[in-house]
Formats: sequence, structure tokens, C-alpha cells
Amino acid sequence: MKLVLSLNKKEYLYDYVSMGIEIFVLGGKYSLHSPYTFSLDEISEIIEKYPQCLFYVTMNALYDQHELKEIEDYIQSLNDIHVKGIIFQDFGILQIVKENDYNFDMMYSPETLNTNACTLNTLKDYGITSAFVSKVIPLEEQLFIQKEVQIPLMIQAHGVEYIAATKRELLSNYQEASQLSFDISKKENLIIQAHQSSYQFHIYEDRRGTHIFSHTRLYTLDLLNQLCDFDYWYIETLMMKDEEAIEIASLYSDALKSYKNGSYNKDIKEYMHLLYCLNTPLDRGFLFDQTVYKLEDMRKMDNEKHK
Amino acid sequence: MRNISEIIDGKRKIVKKPELLAPAGNLEKLKTAIMYGADAVFVGGKEFSLRSQASNFTIDDIKEAVEFANQYGAHIHVTCNIILHQDNLEGIEEYLKKLDEIGVSAIIVADPYIMKIAKDLKLRLEVHVSTQLSTLNLKAIQFYADMGMDRVVLGRETTYEDLKVIMKNTPIDIEYFIHGAMCIHYSGRCMLSNYLSRRDANRGGCSQSCRWYYDLYNQGQLVNQEGDMPFSMSSKDMSLVDHIGELIELGVDSFKIEGRMKSLHYIATVVSTYRKLIDCYCEDPDLFQHSSFYRQELNKAANRALCHGFFYEHPTKDEQLFNLRDEHPTQEFIIRVLDYDKEKKLAKIEQRNYFKIGDKVEIFSPHHENVVMDICKIYNENMELVEVANHPMEILYIEIDYPVQMNDMGRKV
Repeated sequence: MKLVLSLNKKEYLYDYVSMGIEIFVLGGKYSLHSPYTFSLDEISEIIEKYPQCLFYVTMNALYDQHELKEIEDYIQSLNDIHVKGIIFQDFGILQIVKENDYNFDMMYSPETLNTNACTLNTLKDYGITSAFVSKVIPLEEQLFIQKEVQIPLMIQAHGVEYIAATKRELLSNYQEASQLSFDISKKENLIIQAHQSSYQFHIYEDRRGTHIFSHTRLYTLDLLNQLCDFDYWYIETLMMKDEEAIEIASLYSDALKSYKNGSYNKDIKEYMHLLYCLNTPLDRGFLFDQTVYKLEDMRKMDNEKHK
Repeated sequence: MRNISEIIDGKRKIVKKPELLAPAGNLEKLKTAIMYGADAVFVGGKEFSLRSQASNFTIDDIKEAVEFANQYGAHIHVTCNIILHQDNLEGIEEYLKKLDEIGVSAIIVADPYIMKIAKDLKLRLEVHVSTQLSTLNLKAIQFYADMGMDRVVLGRETTYEDLKVIMKNTPIDIEYFIHGAMCIHYSGRCMLSNYLSRRDANRGGCSQSCRWYYDLYNQGQLVNQEGDMPFSMSSKDMSLVDHIGELIELGVDSFKIEGRMKSLHYIATVVSTYRKLIDCYCEDPDLFQHSSFYRQELNKAANRALCHGFFYEHPTKDEQLFNLRDEHPTQEFIIRVLDYDKEKKLAKIEQRNYFKIGDKVEIFSPHHENVVMDICKIYNENMELVEVANHPMEILYIEIDYPVQMNDMGRKV
């Protein structure tokens, strides 16, 4: 297993590499959401400066027809500067890569759809070379998928969880309709909470629309014994302050080292203590929970709620 | 290049008429959709289908649906569009084989594993890529074409300008939404319901949490106080009634109406409106004049305000609903005609909602223009005069001068 981190600042790359992290995910011009948007020149410069590391670029939006020409040129540029892989969810991206015979690691990451092994093995035959397992299924199912799937898999180790995305400007529209005053210029500013629910979500707007993420951070620091067979353990630094990102990267990096040298079970208590000291909202997502499928299950759930 | 129109007897006529594809949540709605002019109807089975709250079809129901559709030259599409979890994999092959065996024309699929199985089994039925995959561009369409898919249902975010390019170059059929509710987020990529109600949106359990009211906090401070406009993520429904001609001219293969959970009245009204509109346009596209009739008809069944979605311009605040009070009741569906006695001028009807003597009713039908009349006399099954019709599904008789037909419907004016 290797630690992967979404790079929030170029200036911290040296620190992350010093911690032993070798794989980074970079936001670019066509990313749906990322902690920072790197230009092609910046990406090229980073790759040249850290030849020992692997760099993936997220092209994880769903793209309109009129964007395709520019996107093809962009992928050509990523190929020219030797990006290791592309994290995507639109099969149009995979199609472009296949048609041009590029040699990227094509990591399929549709956020919500990678929920069984057969589908991923099917997609392997159609050109995906790795995948990000969905976060909305229980740990038990994730582990089953890991055993059955024939390509490298990534799971989220830590960070806010994707909830939804739209092309619409939901915040600007609301601001205009309500005439209320609030600041939509910064990603971290705004939180929504549904009436009669305790869940809070980050919400922000950019040129690709509106994005919703959990307010809590998924954490798996203490689950390494179970997760160790996955190939990639991903830290999402979106919504993190610089210090938090550094601390989290350091903790997970140390935990992985401990695991590899056999002292993880002894050290984890201390790591967890340090994690709690960061005082950020933590959550297990769906790791030990699940959603319902059948109508009867829903009714049962509703009845129990109303008892 | 698709041949959309031809000159016939000196007049241009549309020769590539789009399929009108309607939703149905049960057999009654399905039969009504077909009788009111749908070329095809999509339904959900008991397994592998979204909209788990719709009264989905058993295999026997689907068989009956296919047999009924065959009488009208119509087709049945079955949604198998859940995103599979590990424990949903069992029984897919048998289910698909069964659908094929009973003559289903197409399945609508979101999970690539089901696409693969359907192709490996070499079934006769077509495989259509669901809108749950939010396909918006030709490269993605090519990907599905290479997988052997027969049709792609485009994401509702596809604009007219992009659609023009897609239609000129697509290697497979394209289905496009023309009417119905819209997800505010990308379809298939929204987890609000999963997080807020533990109901899996991608397996049919969507609790429409986007339409709930939310508190909005700016750096910890509540922005929308009591009395302010609530924050919600609710879209107006889409209707492209004003753009049907443009879509026909592009050669779009199928026009989709959304709403498996919608009422019989809704299905009949919406299907028959678009049927009349499409037929009228195709008959004489160059002299076709749009009439306000079509929009007025649709408004009788719509309980949300209508908009153009992403068709022309990027949706603004005007395409959203911030307040549930913006939703309005539809005109009430009160009768369904079972028979008509021309000599006695007496219609045998089934009561669907309360009405009484003196009420004004509008009869609508796939066969004739709308007729407005007053309810003057109501008889029960014993031919005794009654003042009110207040028993659901009761068989009654009403006097009507106009020769109505079986399956015509009446709504309160």
C-alpha cells in the first residue's frame, strides 16, 4: 500500500516527499474539484523537480461537447510532460486516451459508481487501469471488492467526502433570489444543514458549478490492519488548512511506516491521540453503515425511526 | 447523414419522426400512455430498477404490457438502471433473458456490468445507456458504441448547441429528455439522499433531499433567518414544448418524458399533448405554427413551474424553486369514460375524484378536441339520480351531448 495525497500547495511538496509520500494528485484546468488548480507549467515544473515521484492529474468532471477540442489538446500536453495518470469519471476522457494510444494510468473515479467487483473487472476490459472505490459502501464490501478486482485500487484514507456536484450556480442564484448577504468567494466559508438533520455540508461554487462535500473528515488511521491490501490510501486535502494537511499527511505516513515495520498495533493509540488533538470533525462515512435498497427495507427503517 | 425530411407531393414532410417515449408506474398508466399516443413506454421491474417507490412491474405485468403494446405497434423498455452493489448481482442473467424472451424491446442500463452481460447473452433487445451516467459528449457516446450499446440517453445538462453537434456525428441512437422533473445535481452523482436519509439514490431510494430546506451558515453565522427565503436545491420541471420542432429537425431518435411516479392524469395529458404537437409539426413543418394550446394543456397537469433546463441558456435563479409554495395543484382529474351510448347520450364513467352536479368538466382525449361542459345529471348504477360523486372508482352515468369515447378523461375546470 502507498500513500497518495492531493497536493494543496506546491511549497509543501518537499515536506510531503520528506515524509515518504511518493504519489500526488494534482488539480488542473479541467478538474471538477481540487484543493488547488495547477497550471500546465507548474505541473511540468513539479514533475521535473521530483522525478522520483508519480503525479496524477484529475480530469474528473463530466464534460460538455463544446469542451472536447480543448480537452484533447490538454491531454496531449499531459502526455508531453509525462504525467503518470489521469483520474477521471467521464468515459469520453478514456476514449480520447485510447484513440491516441497514450500510456497513462487511467484511474476511474466516478465518486459514486464503483460499488462492485464485476463492474470494475468489466471496465478493465474497456481500458481502465486502476480505480477509486466508492465511499458509499461498507468496509466489508470494499474489502470484498479488493479481493476480486484485477486492477490496482485506491480508497480514501482521510478527508472530506464528496456529496454532490452540479453545473448550476446554486449559491449565486440563491443570493440573487433572496437578496441575502454572504461570501461565496472562498471554498471554506459556507456550510449548509438540512432542517431536522444534524449533517452539515461544505458548499462552494466555482467556474464548473456548485460542489458539496461533507463537513466531517472520513478517517481510517486506525483501520490499516484491514485496509492494508489496497494499493493506494488517499488523503483528500480539500477544505483543510495548511497545518492540518501537513499534520494529517505526517500521521498517516508515520502509521504506514509503523505498519511496515511491525509496530503499528503498538503505535496506533498515540497516532489516534494526535489525530483527536487536531480537533477536526471526524466521521466513518459508510464504512460501518449502509444504505437501503428495497422498498420494504425503507419502510422498516422509517417505522423504526418513528417508534 | 440522417435523412430527416423529404419533399412529398411538393410539400416537405418529416420522414424521421422521433419516438415518443413515456413513463408508466403501473399497467393502467402504461395502457393509457399507449392509447394516448406513446410510441414506447418505459417501466421498472421489481429488480434492478430505480424509482423503488413506484409500483414496479412483475415479469407477468411486463408480459402483459408487451402484449398490449404489440397491438398498437408500440414498444416496451425496461429500466435496469441501478448501480449494482455486491449483493445485487444475483439473478441478473436470468432476469435479462426473461425480458428478452417476453419481447421487451430495450433495457435501460447504468451499470457497465449489466451492459456486458446483455451483450454477452446476445439478446435481441436493445441496450440503452441510462441518463444516470450523465453522458454529455461524443467521445463518451463512442465509448458506449464500442461496448455495443444501441442508444444513449443524454444527460439533462446537454444544451441545444451541443446536441446539434452530437446529432450530426453520433454513431448510435440518441434519446433526449423533453419533459419532466430534473435532478438539480448530475444524475447518478448525488449522495445527498444517502447521507441524509440512508436511502441509496443509485438504487432507487432517492429521498429528494435536494428539495428540502437548508440553513446556510457563513463562517459559522446563520445567513437565512426565520422569515427569509429558504435555501433549497430544487429545480423547476423541464418542458421543451416550445422547441419540439427544432429537436425534430435535428433528428433526435427518441423524445423522453420523465415521471414513472406521476399520475394517470399527468401521463395522459402530457403524452397526448406531445403526440399532437409532434404529429402536427411532422405533417407540415414549414407551415407549422406553434399554438399556446400545447403549453396550456401541459400546465393543467404540471404541479411545478416549468422551465427550459439547460436547453438554451445556463439555468439561473429563475429555473429554480426556492419555496415549496411555488408548487401548485394540478387540475383535478375526476372521470374516466368507460363507454358511451350515442342514442341516450349517456356516458358510463369511473369516478376518480369528487365532483357534483353543476361542476364544469373538460373532457380530453387522444381522438378529439377538448370539450368543456357542465355536469347536469349524474346517475348511479341503478340509474337513480345522485347529487354528488364521492365514492372512488364508483361506476356512474352522466349525460353528455358530445360523443365521447372509451378512455377519454375529464378534469374539473
